[in-house]
Amino acid sequence: MTGSRTGKSLTKYKIVFLGEQGVGKTSLITRFMYDTFDDHYQATIGIDFLSKTMYLDDKTIRLQLWDTAGQERFRSLIPSYIRDSHVAIVVYDVTNKKSFEYIDKWVEDVKSERGEENVVLCIVGNKNDLADERQVSTEEGERKAQVLNAKIFIETSTKAGFNVKNLFRKIAKTLPEFQKSDTVPLDDKFPANKPDVIDITTNNDDEEQTSCQC
Amino acid sequence: MDGGFAASKFESTVKAQNKGRTLYLASKSPSVPNLNEAFQSDVRPRISPGRGQSQLNVLSVTEELTGSSVIDLYGDEEDEQDEQGDEDEGENQEDEGTDGLASDNPRSFTASPSVSAPAGNISSRDLSHYDRYGFKKHNSHISQEEYHAWWDDYSRYCVRRKRKWQDLLEKSGLVSVNGVPDRFPPRSEKLKRYVRKGIPAEWRGQAWWYFARGQEKLNKNKGVYDKLLAAASERSGKASGRDLEVIERDLHRTFPENIHFQRQPNDTEEPLMIQSLRRVLVAFSVYNPKIGYCQSMNFLAGLLLLFLDEERTFWMLVIITSRYLPGVHNVNLEGVNVDQGVLMLCVKEYLPDFWPKIVPKQHARNNEFLYKLPPITLCTASWFMSCFVGVVPIETTLRIWDCLFYEESHILFKMSLSMLKICEQDIAAARQNNRALRSRTLSKDDEDIEIFQAIQTTPKKLLDPQQIFDRILFKRRFSLNNLNQEEIDRCRKYVTSQRLKLKNYADIMGNRPSANENAKRDIKMGPEFVESALSSEIYGFRRSLTAAHWNNSIKEKVRQIRRK
Repeated sequence: MTGSRTGKSLTKYKIVFLGEQGVGKTSLITRFMYDTFDDHYQATIGIDFLSKTMYLDDKTIRLQLWDTAGQERFRSLIPSYIRDSHVAIVVYDVTNKKSFEYIDKWVEDVKSERGEENVVLCIVGNKNDLADERQVSTEEGERKAQVLNAKIFIETSTKAGFNVKNLFRKIAKTLPEFQKSDTVPLDDKFPANKPDVIDITTNNDDEEQTSCQC
Repeated sequence: MDGGFAASKFESTVKAQNKGRTLYLASKSPSVPNLNEAFQSDVRPRISPGRGQSQLNVLSVTEELTGSSVIDLYGDEEDEQDEQGDEDEGENQEDEGTDGLASDNPRSFTASPSVSAPAGNISSRDLSHYDRYGFKKHNSHISQEEYHAWWDDYSRYCVRRKRKWQDLLEKSGLVSVNGVPDRFPPRSEKLKRYVRKGIPAEWRGQAWWYFARGQEKLNKNKGVYDKLLAAASERSGKASGRDLEVIERDLHRTFPENIHFQRQPNDTEEPLMIQSLRRVLVAFSVYNPKIGYCQSMNFLAGLLLLFLDEERTFWMLVIITSRYLPGVHNVNLEGVNVDQGVLMLCVKEYLPDFWPKIVPKQHARNNEFLYKLPPITLCTASWFMSCFVGVVPIETTLRIWDCLFYEESHILFKMSLSMLKICEQDIAAARQNNRALRSRTLSKDDEDIEIFQAIQTTPKKLLDPQQIFDRILFKRRFSLNNLNQEEIDRCRKYVTSQRLKLKNYADIMGNRPSANENAKRDIKMGPEFVESALSSEIYGFRRSLTAAHWNNSIKEKVRQIRRK
């Protein structure tokens, strides 16, 4: 895996996934990485780590994805690792009100470790395909995201593959790499042709951009 | 509402519990596809299951391979030769070399001996993807071909080992009931060696139960399990409401790839295995409110259920969480921190080259790493919490469990060190093979990623237990032999007291970094602070009975006397 490194060192960003157990953190990562979905993923104990190169707007960056255990008691193990992450994705399940109420605690952890300014906070409402079981409305989610000062709010469905790439595209846009207009592409060859690089430029799946950009 | 749902669901299962359990045991598993059924050979008398017996009677490799007695397969001469190997070479890695001779046995085996006939409504094609415990053979790290290539050898190894076990039992005058012994020989170096080389799969439940002294525990607590279940159904939704909900969410996330935990297309009820798992975990949460339910216990109980009945699984879970991993699953997870601190001390001692790569220099002095546990400990913590379930492939996990119940928790530390050693080797090999990497000095960040990646993926590829057992764990040159249970217990006490001291000191100095309980693991204090909090008590490993150790222990005793 390490062999895929290009000659120049890529800029790396740490992204940590937080949120209640069973809301779909592992599922979100798996959908993004492999574009697959299972009804049940083995529960994550401790932390899982994945690294991926992402391509967008002629630029390539390296993402480190940290998948965490959701049970409350594991919160005591995680904070120190949040410290140097650039992005914190706090996930809830739109069919589970409790998981929504719980995001406050995760956000609190992030802020006490990272401070308000230094982290891109994303609130993600997953499982939005389960319309009949919905317990948290999109508006509620948006409102909460505003209160918590989150840069991104989005609803996703990892089952339907809805808005997942979109989420990562939005995240990428907040990174300094994509905000400077004068940056030169890191790689002149088209890196998206490489099998281990995720190209999120094209929107070739049935994703829609319905959510607001707070 | 979720809690209520879980509670009512539980209540109804408890009501049906007695009926359910009898049903399960009587017919083994009416709805769970029973792989054994498919392989049940004619020569083997059908075991009538009772409460004391394992629910899933893991199929004997011997019978499934041949359908005839092992004795017909292996002549006496060869057997003696094998035995010789055992006696002479002991724990040495060469031992299996002798065993290896036997693998040239001309008998031909099918590539996948565990799957030969269709069972019930499951086609043989489907079954061929599952191993003898119902786990999927291949995954993203291991291909079906790799699996079969390995299993072809390993299944023969298992047959040979079983034969040796049978001899050992016979010599010890122990008879097996229905092919499964209910007692094992007294503890000895030889027995330890046998355990380290693997207990026959179909005896595992019984052997674990025996070595962990489960019956003792059960005898002292007759009827407790049933009372707990009754209590749980009465109190459901109240005190342990949160636990119930968390358990409920994890049931289907326990071995979703295992056939016994899956709902089959024609099933109307949820799998019996899931029902048992729910009862065991809920009963435990009532039994030990200090722990309640902690994620990872679902994997412990789940694996136990494949080898033991519900009640025994429950008591084994009690034994694991109290005797082997004290405090590890507690609400504050302090036991995790202590064990990770111990592991870090061990890494420093046994993997001195790897040590500087995982602990930042500024934390390496003054034992600071015991509080500011290095990032990799969040990965290695799960190795302990689930006793390697899901961390390494199943046959390797089971071999670790064999040792765990015979040798207690120090085996988990030895295993972790061996695993880190393999990671270290993998990283070095990867660099060697990659010219671009060889010529480049990696930044600290890249190095960290490299290590994380190795720690994450290397264990998942350890399909062959021998790879770690013979080549690292019990190899003489990588002398982990001094690291015994006594040492680990001493080490645990040391780390506990060091962590406590710093916490107390911080409290007294009013330097509590944050009112937030969650910051506990990561107390923000400088090296000077740590230095003044702790005297220069450095942990001394027992390298052998040298003068240095002797002095250390005298020093320790003097210190104790002074304290008094």
